[in-house]
Amino acid sequence: MIQIQSRSLAVTDWKRLALKAKKIRRLQIGFLIMFLSLVSLPIIIPYFWMLVISFSARTGGVESAVLWKALSILVPFVMVWILIHHNLKGSRRVFALTLTGIIAFTILWNLVGADVHLNNYRFLINANIVEDIRGPATAGGQFPWVWEAFVNSLFVATVSSFIKVLVSTFAGYYLSRFSFKGRPGFLQGLLVIDAFPAMILIIPIFILIYWLGLLDTLYGPILVISAFELPFFIFVMKGFFDGVPWDIEMSAISDGATRRQAFWYVVLPQVRAGIIAIGIFAFIKGWEEYVFVTSLRTGTSYWVMSTYLFYVAQDIMGVDYGMVAAVSVFYLIPSLILYLFFQKNLTQMTFGGVKG
Amino acid sequence: MASSNISGKYTNFTVFFLPAIVLLGGLVVLPIFLDIAVAFTDMAQTLNVSGLTNMQFRKFFKPVEDSMLGFELRRSFLKALTLTATYVVLTLVIFNTTFGLVLALTTTALSERVGSFFRAIWLLPRMSPSVVYALLWSWTIDPTERGLLNQVAINIFGIGPINMKLHHPMMLIVISNGFIGASLGMIILTSAIRSIPKHLFYAAQADGAGPLSITWHIILPALRWPLSYITIFQTLALLVSFEYIFLIMGPARSTMTMAMLAYTKTLAPGVGAGLYAYGAAITMILIVIGIFLALLLWRLSNMQRLITEPRIEVQ
Amino acid sequence: MTNAKFLSITIKKPNKVLKITSSLFIFLSFFVISQSLWAKEIKIKLWATADRSGPLRAGNILEAANTLNNMLAAANADERVKIELIETNSKGYDADALQLLKAHSVGKTPDIALAAHEWIGTFVEAGLAANLESHIKTNSTLYEDIIPQLWNSVKFKGDRYGIPQDSEVRMFFLNNDLMRKAGKSESFIASLPSQVNAGQFTMNDLCDLAAEVKNAGAAKYGIIHRPNVGPDFQMAMASFGIDLYNEDQAKLQITKTGLLAYYKWLKRCVDIGAIAGDMTTWSWDSVHAGFRGGEGFSKFHGVWNLGAQLKAFGMSPTDKEAYFKKITWINAPAGKKGGTPSNLSHPIVYIVTNGPHKDLAAILVALASQHVPNTKHAVGTNHTPINYGQAAMPDFVEKGWGLIAGVPLLKYAQFMPNHSKIGQYNAISYQGVQGVETGEMSPEEAVEFVIEEMEVELGDDVIILN
Repeated sequence: MIQIQSRSLAVTDWKRLALKAKKIRRLQIGFLIMFLSLVSLPIIIPYFWMLVISFSARTGGVESAVLWKALSILVPFVMVWILIHHNLKGSRRVFALTLTGIIAFTILWNLVGADVHLNNYRFLINANIVEDIRGPATAGGQFPWVWEAFVNSLFVATVSSFIKVLVSTFAGYYLSRFSFKGRPGFLQGLLVIDAFPAMILIIPIFILIYWLGLLDTLYGPILVISAFELPFFIFVMKGFFDGVPWDIEMSAISDGATRRQAFWYVVLPQVRAGIIAIGIFAFIKGWEEYVFVTSLRTGTSYWVMSTYLFYVAQDIMGVDYGMVAAVSVFYLIPSLILYLFFQKNLTQMTFGGVKG
Repeated sequence: MASSNISGKYTNFTVFFLPAIVLLGGLVVLPIFLDIAVAFTDMAQTLNVSGLTNMQFRKFFKPVEDSMLGFELRRSFLKALTLTATYVVLTLVIFNTTFGLVLALTTTALSERVGSFFRAIWLLPRMSPSVVYALLWSWTIDPTERGLLNQVAINIFGIGPINMKLHHPMMLIVISNGFIGASLGMIILTSAIRSIPKHLFYAAQADGAGPLSITWHIILPALRWPLSYITIFQTLALLVSFEYIFLIMGPARSTMTMAMLAYTKTLAPGVGAGLYAYGAAITMILIVIGIFLALLLWRLSNMQRLITEPRIEVQ
Repeated sequence: MTNAKFLSITIKKPNKVLKITSSLFIFLSFFVISQSLWAKEIKIKLWATADRSGPLRAGNILEAANTLNNMLAAANADERVKIELIETNSKGYDADALQLLKAHSVGKTPDIALAAHEWIGTFVEAGLAANLESHIKTNSTLYEDIIPQLWNSVKFKGDRYGIPQDSEVRMFFLNNDLMRKAGKSESFIASLPSQVNAGQFTMNDLCDLAAEVKNAGAAKYGIIHRPNVGPDFQMAMASFGIDLYNEDQAKLQITKTGLLAYYKWLKRCVDIGAIAGDMTTWSWDSVHAGFRGGEGFSKFHGVWNLGAQLKAFGMSPTDKEAYFKKITWINAPAGKKGGTPSNLSHPIVYIVTNGPHKDLAAILVALASQHVPNTKHAVGTNHTPINYGQAAMPDFVEKGWGLIAGVPLLKYAQFMPNHSKIGQYNAISYQGVQGVETGEMSPEEAVEFVIEEMEVELGDDVIILN
């Protein structure tokens, strides 16, 4: 009799304990998610606000009515979405999600549909956006067409990231595989240089670029940007190379390949993730550059997206928030797309290469 | 064989290593020396140098008879120093390290998908172009009722319109730079936490450790190295940063840190008066302070023993 | 028969060679002709800043180039002039001067530049501005009608280094409607200009009035001023007795007591709510919108705002009565009771640089400074004319009523000195303004700071008086 009792007691205890632990865990997770959502709000809302303004503001000022209306629909929608995603499976889930999606969209459209318009994006087609709003301020056009700035930014970002990837991959490989006199000293020196962002050396760099005759060209900023964060990238690539087993290379060399051939055909494909990561990161950095593109030019010799946005905002911000928001969104989209698509790669960049 | 080995060695060096040395040497090392050289001249708007002089440094110190060292710091320079110290310490301690740690701990405690979702949000400021980020801040803190901050403050908390640029400029630049700094700490610490062997966690949980205990005894010790690294590097990075301060506050006196002073005196668009030697002198002082701080922190955190010899020696 | 065959053969055979030589000939002749068409195009670089209150400053040079090209065509000359525009987006003329100096320092000097006159000293010492004395004397027919006082604004060490492009009247605009809403009587409003000129209505009175109108709920903003460095602040300084320039020693000058009084006045205005403490961080947009939206009691700026104000208030450009019913203009009042009001005239000038096309550039400037182009600019954007004859032009008489109305204010007007360090001087004193308004420094601290900075940066070039 006693035996049966104790056995049933033992079973119930475990189940209850497990349930209790699960509940505690759920509470903890819930608390963490709430905390994180709360602190992340100051980041999400302004970006969303900018998006909303770009689609709804008319000349004259910024209103947030559309924002709050949209949020009042979207926030419950997101929460419902998460609940459905968590609790239902398979075709039922798909059905429930689509249903909620349609309902939310219809309500949203009814609330804010009238306010939504694409007029703020006319700068993509019209080159005289500022003159149209404020009247002419110059004898020529005050701003170029946005696509000119876009192409220049693209050029600067692409070329500089290409150079950065090339140089840091090669250097990372060399540091990973070769020993030479002063290697530890060089590593330490690299660490020291990494600590000093090129930003602070803007004055001597300006003088240097002037002596090289590259002022007022896009090549000046490209050259300078290529040296940004180079030590960091070298360490990242070195870390990736350190992770490639020596045997692969060894077998290629014993098969008759030279060091360089082994590098190109055998080792390089192994670190593709690293190359993609630093390439994307370098592009995003080149895309956003503001300090050096403004300092290394006199007059208005070239326009890039950062200067375009800066001066357009300075000129018409009080009058046409919507247009400025639209230009911002346009400028932000490439960075955003690259970042979201390659997020996994970017978070893989670690500093492991420093440890010898 | 031997000769081809040696020539191979040199070609290897040239192909692989020389570009990095040229770029780094020319655009980082050389400018440092150039900066020191220019700091001792009178180079101004016309880029002409008429000789070596220490007149730039006399702009920081004024000779005072009865002070201890024979000279005293000038008011504006002292102000820039204190602003820099406040800004660096506050941003570093509150956001770059502490909040980065909090983010890393909380996001890794959740499932991978949810955690990376929040990390993605927190990386957004760092990934957006600086002009866009600064513009967003300008709109959010607009002192009228249009600003997002004021809408929240007035409608939810019932406090009057806040003017951050005027009344709380230091808080403004600490928070705006902090959001960006926290993301770097978050990534580095996250990858460090993920590399802790899982069995340690299971063992601790089996022994009945709660989450706080696990954090304190298992996670934090593993983060010692990354935290020291973040502290040293972010201190130096913050010391010389001015981009976001300039874009959000402009050349305002209330946030004129040393780096901002150098920038606004030389090359800031619309304000920079091209006083290159003066700016170079300020930069030089910043570099000296930076080196000093780095050495100090290096010593304190004992980083030396973490850098080992290479595993592979091939030639 | 044989001959014809022979002929046909000789004609057909060298077909290929004929083709080649004929095409070569055509190409060569085209080349030679085109060279003579496009050859000898002289490029003149013009530097201007995007300024909505003066697009014709650069536009008149473009017009002048057309005129010159017509003259050259009539003279059967080969040369043509082409203007290359560099139009920066600087926030003001001080910012633009710094950009211009930066361009000059790296060898990208333009041929003609538009600048604020007080920078001429700095430009001459940097080798940027060319001496135009001989040019003016040689081409006196083009310059003799220019109002003589204006030449003072381009003189440096006795010689003229620029051609005045325009001038203006500066004032405090006062919104009468807001004063009426706050309960002020018509007689009070009408008496303000004379009270100011008699020295009975002082700067402090102005701030008190602004605070009164604002606190009565009639106005949202008190006094609105520019959000960056500019001549307006020098005008206010003159009201407090600060004489910027010492003629005898040819040095800049500052008076500690005057500066303290000025900063104390600023602080008082901010404290009673007459001036917004963060005005130095506003954008130009908000500054303009603040007054033109009808919510600002007063704006401290210049007559060229007239056009935009008329538009914003919904008045027709020729409706003088309606405008002066709504707005009153006053000089900057005296600092102390019984003192004199002050005004500042701030000409924008053309300078010519010491490039290879100096004389040609100077002639273009001369053409742009003639009566017709200058009136187009002056009347279109409400600036005062540079030639006497312009005042008689029908366009001017009809549309320039604002400028004519502003002439009495010029009685108290002076120019800023063309000293080479005036730019730095203004930048430093502006920092004091910023510090006091934002509350970062007390007036005493601000004076100490400004004096110290002037000692450091200007050294011997400034005389510091008590």
